[in-house]
Amino acid sequence: MFGFKYDTENKWHRLGRLLLIMAASLLTFVYVWWILAIIINTPAIPTPDLVWAAMIKLFNEGDIQTGLSMWDHMAASLKRFLGGFALAFGVAVPLGLLIGYSRFLDEFSRPVLEFLKPIAPIAWAPVFIFATTLTIGPILVVFVGIFFPLLYNTIFGVKKIEPSLTDAAKTLGAKERQVFYKVMLPCTTPYIMNGMRIGFGIGWMCIVAAEMIAPLGGGLGYFISLQSTLSNWPYVFVGLGVISVLGILTTGLVDYAYRLMAKRMGIE
Amino acid sequence: MSYIELNNIRKVFKKDDKETVAIDDISLHIEKEELVSILGPSGCGKTTVLRMIAGLVEPTSGEVFVDGTKVVAPGSDRGMVFQDFALFPWRSVRKNIEFGLEVNGVPKEERTARVDKYLEIVGLEKFADARVHELSGGMKQRVGIARALVNHPKVVLMDEPFGALDAQTRNIMQAGLIKILDKTDQTIVFVTHSVDEAVFLSDRIVILTKRPARIKDVIEIPWPRPRDRASPEFTALRKRILTELEQENVMDQGAPADKPPKLTGGLLNRIRHRDRPDSETGDK
Repeated sequence: MFGFKYDTENKWHRLGRLLLIMAASLLTFVYVWWILAIIINTPAIPTPDLVWAAMIKLFNEGDIQTGLSMWDHMAASLKRFLGGFALAFGVAVPLGLLIGYSRFLDEFSRPVLEFLKPIAPIAWAPVFIFATTLTIGPILVVFVGIFFPLLYNTIFGVKKIEPSLTDAAKTLGAKERQVFYKVMLPCTTPYIMNGMRIGFGIGWMCIVAAEMIAPLGGGLGYFISLQSTLSNWPYVFVGLGVISVLGILTTGLVDYAYRLMAKRMGIE
Repeated sequence: MSYIELNNIRKVFKKDDKETVAIDDISLHIEKEELVSILGPSGCGKTTVLRMIAGLVEPTSGEVFVDGTKVVAPGSDRGMVFQDFALFPWRSVRKNIEFGLEVNGVPKEERTARVDKYLEIVGLEKFADARVHELSGGMKQRVGIARALVNHPKVVLMDEPFGALDAQTRNIMQAGLIKILDKTDQTIVFVTHSVDEAVFLSDRIVILTKRPARIKDVIEIPWPRPRDRASPEFTALRKRILTELEQENVMDQGAPADKPPKLTGGLLNRIRHRDRPDSETGDK
């Protein structure tokens, strides 16, 4: 047909194929959703056209209840997310490096960490919100969500350092401090970034859940919980979609950074 | 006093109340600008001797001196080249070679000049900005050698440096090392399990016994380098050393009664076996 022949060696052909499949996949999704919405016939599952209209309105004007546009809600959630991430990074990475380095600290902290790890981050939300404020509480929930994957990956990274690399540094004249900064830290970086990759996914889920519990100052979780109590279902669906897209973007960003670094260091 | 002295070195490894004597009273003197190879059956403790000179392993008793100073910790006066290259993958070739100068606080301009010089010596000028993972095994080890040499160490300790390379690359690297020696008069202690390599390179070969390691023989090789592998002297010396090493290996097999019984599977069997610590290791 049209004399076109698909060529696996041609990068444009491959890209075209990928985009075509992606579009088909998403179109199928919308189509199935539409049919299901009609069959199930409940206001809680609006049809895609209603959601589309709601989305345009929300991004342009915002909702009457909070007076905030969708951009504002996104900014509010992202701000909390980044706050929690910064806190987790600042605590988990140094702590992980120390625990990985010192056998005593490892043995000493293990029981406590193992005890705290199974607790779902969101379960802390009421405690954190009551103990601090409605603003700080959700940030702490994100902190817990990102903290554990980041910490455990950092510890693992330190333990995986090739002894010959630290030996080499020492025979080249590096003092203990220099071994730490110039060998251990860069060796551990891929593992830290992997922890971030996992942590970002969990943290993003945490922030939305925490905002549902802490209704203040906007945010996607707050928006969804508010609009569902008002039965504004198309609005709720817009909120869900935005959460997904932002989640893809945040984890995608770390993923990209990780790949870039892995390529530089020759890790596959 | 010799340039490098190992005086009555002993090394005992302790594990779960069990003592294994790895090195039993080794004394060795090495002169400046000498290339001394340490040969021995595998697992005999050749590398441990080298790591003691580096200061990475402490002898249980005895002392190591380099240029009159007692070795107590690793330092840049004793460079090391590793079998697995041990290059820093996050640094470029240039930055790998520069590492030692950097941690020793050498000013930037001098650093660049010295790295340039050694890049040229090992023939990697064109790969200065390459990433380590882009290099072949032989090139990686040339970076390893340049990284050790650039510090102007008193001695370079080479731990089976060409052991991970294929036979052809190995020969090229050996010839390359001889060329480097012409330019730098470097003192080298070289650990290898290749008799051919030792005879090709060394001023002196030290042959160790199997564990616990003692010095079995020391062979001086006064021939100039590069040497002809096909010459009758070369082949004869190789044969003589191989025979000496073979004696060690034969003796090693002469003690089957000490070895633990072969396990034929079954968890219970393994647990029982573990309960008898005296039968756990075969090398005692």
